[in-house]
Parts: sequence; structure tokens; C-alpha cells
Amino acid sequence: MNVVFAVKQYISKMIEDSGPGMKVLLMDKETTGIVSMVYTQSEILQKEVYLFERIDSQNREVMKHLKAICFLRPTKENVDYLIQELRRPKYSIYFIYFSNVISKSDVKSLAEADEQEVVAEVQEFYGDYIAVNPHLFSLNILGCCQGRNWDPAQLSRTTQGLTALLLSLKKCPMIRYQLSSEAAKRLGECVKQVISKEYELFEFRRTEVPPLLLILDRCDDAITPLLNQWTYQAMVHELLGINNNRIDLSRVPGISKDLREVVLSAENDEFYANNMYLNFAEIGSNIKNLMEDFQKKKPKEQQKLESIADMKAFVENYPQFKKMSGTVSKHVTVVGELSRLVSERNLLEVSEVEQELACQNDHSSALQNVKRLLQNPKVTEFDAARLVMLYALHYERHSSNSLPGLLVDLRSKGVSEKYRKLVSAVVEYGGKRVRGSDLFSPKDAVAITKQFLKGLKGVENVYTQHQPFLHETLDHLIKGKLKENLYPYLGPSTLRDRPQDIIVFVIGGATYEEALTVYNLNRTTPGVRIVLGGTTIHNTKSFLEEVLASGLHSRSRESTQATSRSASRR
Amino acid sequence: MSSLDDPGEVREGFLCPLCLKDLQSFYQLQSHYEDEHSEDRDVKGQIKNLVQKARKAKNKLLKREGDDRVEPGAQGYESFSYGGVDPYMWEPQELGAVRSHLSDFKKHRAARIDHYVVEVNKLIIRLEKLTAFDRANTETSKIRAIEKSVVPWVSDQDVPFCPDCGNKFSIRNRRHHCRLCGSIMCKKCMELIGLPLANKLTSASKDSLSTHTSPNQSPNSVHGSRRGSISSMSSVSSVLDEKDDDRIRCCLHCKDKLLKREQQMDEKEHTPDIVKLYEKLRLCMEKVDQKAPEYIRMAASLNAGETTYSLEHANDLRVEVQKVYELIDALSKKILTLGLNQDPSPHPNTVRLQRMIRYSATLFVQEKLLGLMSLPTKEQFEELKKKRKQDLEQKRTMERQAALESRRKLEERQSGLASRAANGEVRSLRGIPAPLRKAEGWLPLSEGQGQSEDPDPLLQQIYNITSFIRQAKAAGRTDEVRTLQENLRQLQDEYDQQQTEKAIELSRRQAEEEELQREQLQMLRKRELEREQEQFLAASVHPRTRALDLREVVPFQLEPSRAPHSDLAYALDQDSSPVPGSAAPGTLSPGCTLAPIRLWSGPPALSQSTVPQQSKKTSLNPFDEEDLSSPAEDAASPAATETLLSPSAAVTREYNPFEEDAEEEEAAELGAGNPFTDPNSPAPNPFDEDDHPRPASPPAPGNPFEECPCTNPFEVDSDSGTEAEEHIEEELLLQQIDNIKAYIFDAKQCGRMDEVEVLTENLRELKCTLAKQKGGSN
Repeated sequence: MNVVFAVKQYISKMIEDSGPGMKVLLMDKETTGIVSMVYTQSEILQKEVYLFERIDSQNREVMKHLKAICFLRPTKENVDYLIQELRRPKYSIYFIYFSNVISKSDVKSLAEADEQEVVAEVQEFYGDYIAVNPHLFSLNILGCCQGRNWDPAQLSRTTQGLTALLLSLKKCPMIRYQLSSEAAKRLGECVKQVISKEYELFEFRRTEVPPLLLILDRCDDAITPLLNQWTYQAMVHELLGINNNRIDLSRVPGISKDLREVVLSAENDEFYANNMYLNFAEIGSNIKNLMEDFQKKKPKEQQKLESIADMKAFVENYPQFKKMSGTVSKHVTVVGELSRLVSERNLLEVSEVEQELACQNDHSSALQNVKRLLQNPKVTEFDAARLVMLYALHYERHSSNSLPGLLVDLRSKGVSEKYRKLVSAVVEYGGKRVRGSDLFSPKDAVAITKQFLKGLKGVENVYTQHQPFLHETLDHLIKGKLKENLYPYLGPSTLRDRPQDIIVFVIGGATYEEALTVYNLNRTTPGVRIVLGGTTIHNTKSFLEEVLASGLHSRSRESTQATSRSASRR
Repeated sequence: MSSLDDPGEVREGFLCPLCLKDLQSFYQLQSHYEDEHSEDRDVKGQIKNLVQKARKAKNKLLKREGDDRVEPGAQGYESFSYGGVDPYMWEPQELGAVRSHLSDFKKHRAARIDHYVVEVNKLIIRLEKLTAFDRANTETSKIRAIEKSVVPWVSDQDVPFCPDCGNKFSIRNRRHHCRLCGSIMCKKCMELIGLPLANKLTSASKDSLSTHTSPNQSPNSVHGSRRGSISSMSSVSSVLDEKDDDRIRCCLHCKDKLLKREQQMDEKEHTPDIVKLYEKLRLCMEKVDQKAPEYIRMAASLNAGETTYSLEHANDLRVEVQKVYELIDALSKKILTLGLNQDPSPHPNTVRLQRMIRYSATLFVQEKLLGLMSLPTKEQFEELKKKRKQDLEQKRTMERQAALESRRKLEERQSGLASRAANGEVRSLRGIPAPLRKAEGWLPLSEGQGQSEDPDPLLQQIYNITSFIRQAKAAGRTDEVRTLQENLRQLQDEYDQQQTEKAIELSRRQAEEEELQREQLQMLRKRELEREQEQFLAASVHPRTRALDLREVVPFQLEPSRAPHSDLAYALDQDSSPVPGSAAPGTLSPGCTLAPIRLWSGPPALSQSTVPQQSKKTSLNPFDEEDLSSPAEDAASPAATETLLSPSAAVTREYNPFEEDAEEEEAAELGAGNPFTDPNSPAPNPFDEDDHPRPASPPAPGNPFEECPCTNPFEVDSDSGTEAEEHIEEELLLQQIDNIKAYIFDAKQCGRMDEVEVLTENLRELKCTLAKQKGGSN
């Protein structure tokens, strides 16, 4: 169930199968991302892969002494490029791997192009998704839906990605989906269709309890992607943005040239692996320790190696020092930038109110706090807008809802039209009408008691009170209590036992906060393995883009119409 | 950090987690724990303590923080608890599903290229037939007959125009037949295939086409034999016709196909320079992968002061490995610059490939070479040996102390168990010698009786226990067998340890006082011994309790070499005290006095090393006490003490060759010059070849560093002790310079210029020191 390992194994197998000798890896745009998530350059260099080329690059030279490993998505363009390549082969021998199911007719046209018999292998290796963490994958699709329905191209890509994931993990699951989302049902049906069509591929050793694929829709929980985050990975994504493990730091003031873009990968960065789920305060102290350690080892400018003992110590410490210096400078820069942004944007205060909006039900205090922050000049228009969005989502139906007043406040604060429009768009996207389950008020007795107790005890950390809705859903699922009327099975058969291997897929994108939740669930519930995936992994910014792309904001004015429409749909 | 560097603080083994006392075995730890820490039984607290300590140690060791996941974050991350599994730790999974389209692909491809391949192969088979006979010596008409038999010629009437250029055939524009496909073309469109090309094509395809050609070959050979008989007669007329002795006529299309084939063949055979170099590079890397671990094992052992490997050998290996690294470096550099100076500068991708190969080679060297620890110099090595010996001794005394306690406890448990398991007769906790008559007591078997030949009491004990186990097994007493086996294992551990101690003792002797002093001491001690024995006789009359003995033994064992005689006295005391009735002091004393004489000439090394164990053993093991009556057993301990008392001349003499060896080694080393720097300085150091300008780079003239190979100071004044010492310093300096240069190289590779500067500064500093030293010594 480790998705990083699954993809890595595919890549390793490709390289292994091509035997010794200099190699070139031919990829397309997407597979480049897939490979780069699981292999570093130096790692892959050790396997004699020296060149990385894009199949669509025209400027490739004939190098008959190289073996070519082609890892491509089975798209029409790629097949065409490959046909051209085989007609005039540039490399001595070709090992061709498609990341998904390829049609027989494409195989035929490739075979007919291979007049010089340079192809030694044609296989399907199902590494057709971005493996972010062992329990987290993404398809890097932003804007998967038009309105409430799938963009057809994205639906087919998502189906491919999801079936590839199942194949790479060797799972043939039962499917449950979120009833309130049409898109979830559609995707479930598509996956099911592929499974029945490629039934011989999905014939794996039967496990006692069949694995489960749960398809959810982002619109059921629009709160989570709107919150500021305080754990390292999530925070970096929220404030700086992580794109295929890469972080663009070029906008950081006074950044040195080699730190413009840094890679944060838990696979080969020990500090990151140990700290990605810790909160900001802990990271601060850890980075301080890291730096102090580093300072101790760093040869000082004035330090003269006078005695032999000095030199010996220096020489022995050097390799460690060298290894550390890269890590230290990277993390110090990143954490430094994070803390700069936190103080610049007054994020601690903002986040406190955000959490209050998300987790508590005290309308008047919440409204007061939002209003207070809107007056604060340090609060950016982005943060101001998101506070109002959270307010709008939570107190949508509240009797004394004063959203219009807040929108006026936003305008007077000088927040741009774009963000003000997004407030209603977000409500349209994830408002109460759309949600299949209640996000804010607990339903069953246990949850109510829990909340009550929580209120008595007081909250331990105001910045991390929020639990993504996904936590509750998965908790119920693990305990076998997830209601079938809200999350029905696709097809007649149902699961009698509690599920063990669970794949959750969120249409419209997952978040790193949810990834942390799943990580914790994996750790706290023995015997259960959960993998989380999404069409993408959101921060607030990308989530708002997703909302924008769905095109819902245009209808926000005709809210009465929309209400009647959705009511009739139900 | 500092604590790590201080070997005194490095502690391992069975440490009590609460008081960090070193306990020798699991049993000791357990009993210690039960005794000392039973009051604070708060398991949770202890575990917490343990976890914290482990974490501290881990942080210290790994130099990293942030492993605080162990403890729930203070900020209320209650979700971080134990029980589940970190996704990183999920069990290994097999390769995901795959599906091969190769057979499908091949089927389609075969259908497509069958035509092409068949065509080419047909041409080659025909070509082979056409060249199979000696064309020069065959009559034209016959050749034509053969040619026509290979492929039927198109009849002239059918083709009025040249199919390729469209010209009408006439008397002047004659028809020509392609010998390969039989078609007709004009002279202009005719192509010729020379015999060399034909041979090349046919010979290469012979292997692959042998299946095709063999059935066709037989008719061909029939032709040949027939042809041979006729050819001689009509050879004159052949000159008249236009004859292609060494060429075969063919059409454009056939020639094209054949040329394509030739190109393919060429590509297959041709290996560009980069491939050749690359293959060499890979070979070197493989070699390093083989050799480096071996060297690291050696260096680690030597740096720990062990004597398992010889320093010289390790040096040789180091030089060898370093040479391979240099070769890797040189080869990769060659690959990097390949074709860069050529006129049409190579394609950017070629350059990229070369750069990547170089980069990966650099990575390889960095990773492996920096892991290549340096060797201690001769002098350091001696120091290390001494240090290790001291450490071991320290540890041993501590452990022995613990061992005494725990053994006693173990014994108690054991004897209690034994008595319970046996006839229920309660034996004294002192472990009075098992009554031999009792059927339940295990007797040492006959081989145990040969103790007198067996100088090591531990070995004896091991034999004994093995026989006990056998007996116990036969009797089917599994629980007893288990206890005995545990005991045996302990003993074997002890024995192993003893063996290493032996080796250490050997080297320690080397450093001890002069023989003369020893002899004086010996005299003194002899006298003392006599006095002691008298005292002992008196003492043994009053039996003491074992517990008291034990307590008193401890302080002596802390300094066994200084107070061996008293130790002996106590050891003997212990021997006699538990058996006041049976072993009369009278019978003991002759044994003691006789034994030294008997064993005086015994192997010194053995008796010497048994000393610590001897006292331990005699005092501890219940089985020993059974052997009290045996004179040999008694003899062993005095004998051992004897050697300690008098480190005889034989002992030192025996060690002398060892010292001479060392001296020789040293001399050899001095003669050979500095093994670390020598290979580097005469041959240009590959690390220095980098074009980066660097102040005082080694190859620069006038650099003191360069002088070392020609005026090796070791050759000049190797006999003067103090100066030699200085030169060892120098050697070390050179070594350090080498290391630092490697780091500079490395830093440059990574583009960390600030580091390079610091390093260069250090390097300059070092060179100055070196020059100064050299100036001083000269």
C-alpha cells in the first residue's frame, strides 16, 4: 500500500531490465513528474541512466551507444512521437513502458514502425500517478469539474490514474461513493467499468477482506482547504506552495541563487521526513538544534588548524559537515521565510479566528473577531477574504447572518472584486445545500459528548483544533459505522467486515492536513492501511482556483434559481 | 560531540538503564535490576526513562534532532501514539501489476518486416552463391551459367526499356542483368558490388543465416564440382568478354538494400571512444566496490588498536584503492573532455552525457573516498594499542567485579535449582562440591580427567560442563540442561574474551619494565611468597566465609599485577575454606609448593593469561571445587601466579622477536617513504589537476610539499629517535594535507566556494607548518 514504493519499484524494474550500459530515459511531461517524485538525479545516475529526454523534444541527437528506456503515458501524441522515433531510431535499443493500458491498435502501429527491430520490450507499468508520500498520491489536475459535473477529459485521466493506482498496489476494490456528489458516482462507475473490462489484469490473490475504494467530493468539506496550516508540510504548501516536492523560493527577499528552488522530499531528506508532521513551534526548536549542531562543525573563518588533533577532528567531521550544510541551509531558509510570512501577515491571530470559525459555534464572538481582524491593516486581503468565506460557510443559515455587512467591510478594506466574488462562489461550491453531511454540528450522541467535553477542558492548542471532516468519515468507515444511505456501495455486494485496506479519493483535491489525518489514522489503528489521493493537493490559493475553474461563481447571483435546481435534484 | 570523542565515555553492553553500571551479562543485569532497583518498580517511569535516554543517545549519535515523535507533542498532538504503523513501515510489497505487449508487438512487427528481411536475406544468399567459387579462374560462359542458375534472368524481349531510366535498349545501349534479382537495366543504371563488400555481407550473415543457406548450399556445391572440370578448357576465351573478376553486377535496388544492411552491421560493430572509456570506468568502479569494504574493515580494526591486520598491508591496500580512485577520476575527466576540441563541436546532448558521466563518477568518488578513513601512523597505532589495552583492562576489572557477584547469584540459583530438581537435598548456598557418589550429580567424563594436560582451566570447565550436559540430557532433565547450557555459553564467552585478553597481554608485556627490574622484583616476590605461604597455612586453619572472601578479592583484582601474591593467598584461601573437613591444609601445601616447580617451564603465555580467570574460577564455580583434590588444579593457580610474580626471562625473550618485527616494519616503512603521500606526489594528483587557480598548489615549483619524494627525510635520519618522531608528525601532516585536498576538490565539485576558501586557507596553514618543520629538522 506504499504508493511511493510502488512507483519506485516500477522504475527500478525498467532500469534493471535494460541491463548494463549507458542509458537515456525518454519521458513525457507527466511521467517526468512521476519519476522525479520517487527518484533523485544522483540516485538514478548510479543506475547508469545519464540522460533524461522528453519524447517531444526535437533537438535530440543520434546516440547509438545509448539504450533508451521510454516511460510514457499512452496518449495519442506520445504514440505518434514514438512512431516517428522508431522510424529513425536515435538509440541502439528501445525498452518501451506505458504508464497505463494501451490499445491493441496502438501497439500494432508501433510494431509496424519498428522496421529496424530496435524495440526490445513493450510493457504496461502502471505508475500513472504522482506519489507524494507513502500514503498520499495526486494526479495534479486543477479544475476537474465544470459546474457540478466532470470535465470529460479530466474524468478519463482521473479514471486512468485511479485504476493505475489500484493495479500498482494490486488491489481490486469494492467501491463506495458519496451520494451527494454526482461526480463521485460517475467516477466510481468509470473505475468499475475499467475493472470489468480489464478483468484479467485485476485478478489478484483474494484477501479475506476485500480492499475498499471510497470516493469523496471536495464540496462536502470546503472548510479544510481554507484554513491556515501549522504543520511543516502543510504550512509550506499553504504559504509557499509545493509543486511535485519543489518549492519556489524565488520571491523570498534576498534569496541566494542556488536556493531559488529547493526540493523537499521525505525520501531523501531525513530532517524533513522527521519534521514534516510536526507543528511550527517544534520545527523551530528542531531547526535551532540543527543549526547549532552545524555551527559546531562548521570550520570557522578564523579557525586555524594548528595541532594535528585539530586537523584530525576537522577531517573526520568534514563529510558529516558537508552532508549537513545542504540540509541546514535549505531548511533554515524555508523556516525563516515561513516565520517571516507568519509575522508579516499576522497569521497567528488570523489562524486563531479561523479555527474558531471552523470548530466552534459561538456566532457573536466569531463575528466580532472577524470584524476586528478586518480592521487590522496587517491582515492581507487574501486572509481577510478567507475569513469571510469561512464565516459565510459556517453561518450560512444563521438567523443573524451578517455576511452582507462583512462584504461591505471587505470592500471598504480595499479587497479586490475577485476575492469578494469568490466568497459567494465558495458558498455555492461547498455550502449547506451541496453538502451531504453536516460539517459543523455533531450528529450522534458520542460526538456531542465529545464536543461537550472538549468545551469543558478547553482547547490545548488553539491553532490546531480543527480536524478535517475526513477524519470522522474514515473513523466511521474503519469502525464499520459509515452510513450506507450517505455513502452507498456501487453494485450489489457490500462489505460485511470492517475494511482493512482503504483507498480514499477526493474529487476536487485533497489537502496536506487531510494527509496528516490519514497518517495519524494509519499509526493509531493497527491492521488498517489507508491511502489518500486527490485530483490534486490543495492549499487555499489552489482551492480558490479550483472553485473559480468550476465556474460556479457566475451563477452566484441567481442563488434562488440554484437553490430550486439543487432541491429538485435531490 | 565532545563526549563522543572521549572514548572513556563510550559504553556498551549490558548497562543498567537506571544507574548505568556495566554488567557483564543479561543475567547479571537482571539480577542487578532485581536487587538494586526493585523499590522503584514503576515500570512506566522506567520505560520512560529508558526511552529518554535512548533518545538522548540517539540524538547524540546521529547528530540530529526532531525525532520527538516518540513523545506526544506538548501542543496536544494526542493522535501521535503507538499502536498503528507508520506508512513508511508498511510491509514490503511486490511489484505492481504489469502487462507485456511484446509478443503482440513482435507478431505485428514480424509480419511487417518479414518481407524486408526475407528480401535482404535472399539477396545475401544469392550473393554468397555468386562468390562461392573462384571467379578469376572460371570461364565466362560457365560463370554465366552459374549466375543464371542462382536467379532466373528476365528474358530480354520482355524489357524494351530500362525500368530505371526509361532509355530504350539497343545495340549500343545493351541490356544488363542484375545477378541478384535477375532484372534488366542499362549500363548507366547498373551497380557493381565489389568482392570485399560481398564477403563482408556474407560472412556476417553466415552465422545467422546458416539455417537458410544450408539446404541451398548442396546444389551449389554440385555446380562447383562440375564447373571445375570444364573451366580449364575455356579459360582463354574469357578474356574477350567483359568479365567481372572481382565485381558482381546488380541493380540499384539490390545494392541499396545491401548497403543498408552493411550500415547496420557497421553500427553494431563500431564502438565509439566514449563507450570504451566508459567500460573501463565501470570496471574500476566494480573494483572499488570490492576492495573498499575490505580496507574499511582493516582500517577500523587498526584504528581501534587491534592487531588483527597489519598496518603495512592496510597501507598497501589503501594505496591500491586510491590508485583506482585516481584512475576513475582520470577516466571520467577524459570522458568529460572527449571531442570538446574538435572542430564541429559535439552536440549539446553529447556534452551533457559526458558531463553526467563525470558527475556520477565524482559522486561515486566522493561517497566512497570520503568514507575511506585514514590509517593511524606507526606511532599513533602504538598509542592506540596501549589505549585500547588500558580501556579493556578497566572494563575487565569492572566486569569482573560484576561477574563475581552475578556468578555467585547464578550459582545460588543454579544450585537451588539443581537441588530441587535432584533429590531435594538442600545443598549449602556456598555450593559445596557435589557429592560424587550421588547419582544426581553430574560427573565430568573421562576427558575431564585429562585436566593436567589441559592448561586452561576455563577449557577444562567447558569440557566438564559439556559432559554434564550430556549426562543431564541422557537423564532427560531438560531444565537442568538449560541451566547448564547457559552456564556453558557464559563460559565460552569468557573463554573468547580471555583469548583476546591473551593477545593484549602479549603486547602489554612489551611495554613493561626492564628485565633487570623484573628479576629483582622476582627475587623479592619469591621471598614474599614463601612468607605468604606460611601465613596462608596458618590462615587456612581458620576457615572463613566465602562472602567475606569475595568482598576482599575485589579490591585486589582491581590491581592484579601489582598485588598478585596476596591475590594468590586469597585464592588459595577460598579454595580451602569451603572444604574445611576434606581438604586438609597439610595436603594442600605440598601441592602449592610442588606445583611451581613443575610448571615453571610451562608455556608462559598460557599460564600468564589465566591469572585473572584462575582466581575467579577457583572462587566461583561450584564444579571447580570438586576438583580441589586434584593436584593439577591446584598447581595451575600457583603456576599462574608464579608467572605473574616473576615475569621470567623466557617471557620477555619470547616477546622480543615481536618487537624486532615491529622495528623491521618501521624500518621498511621508513625506507619505502611515506606510503600515503608517495603515490600522489610523483604522479600528478588527479585532485589537483582541476584548473581552478589555487595559491600554493602542490605541483608549483618551490613548494615545500614537492620536496618530499626526492628528499625523503626518513631515509636520512631514520635512526635518530626523537627526529623520527618528528617525521612521523610530518607524515601525518602530509596525510592531512592529502585529505584536505580531497575535500577541496569535493567542495569545488559542489560549488561551495566559501568552503573551498576555508579549506584552502587551512591547506596553506598546513603547508607552512610543514615547511617550518622541515626547516627545523634540516
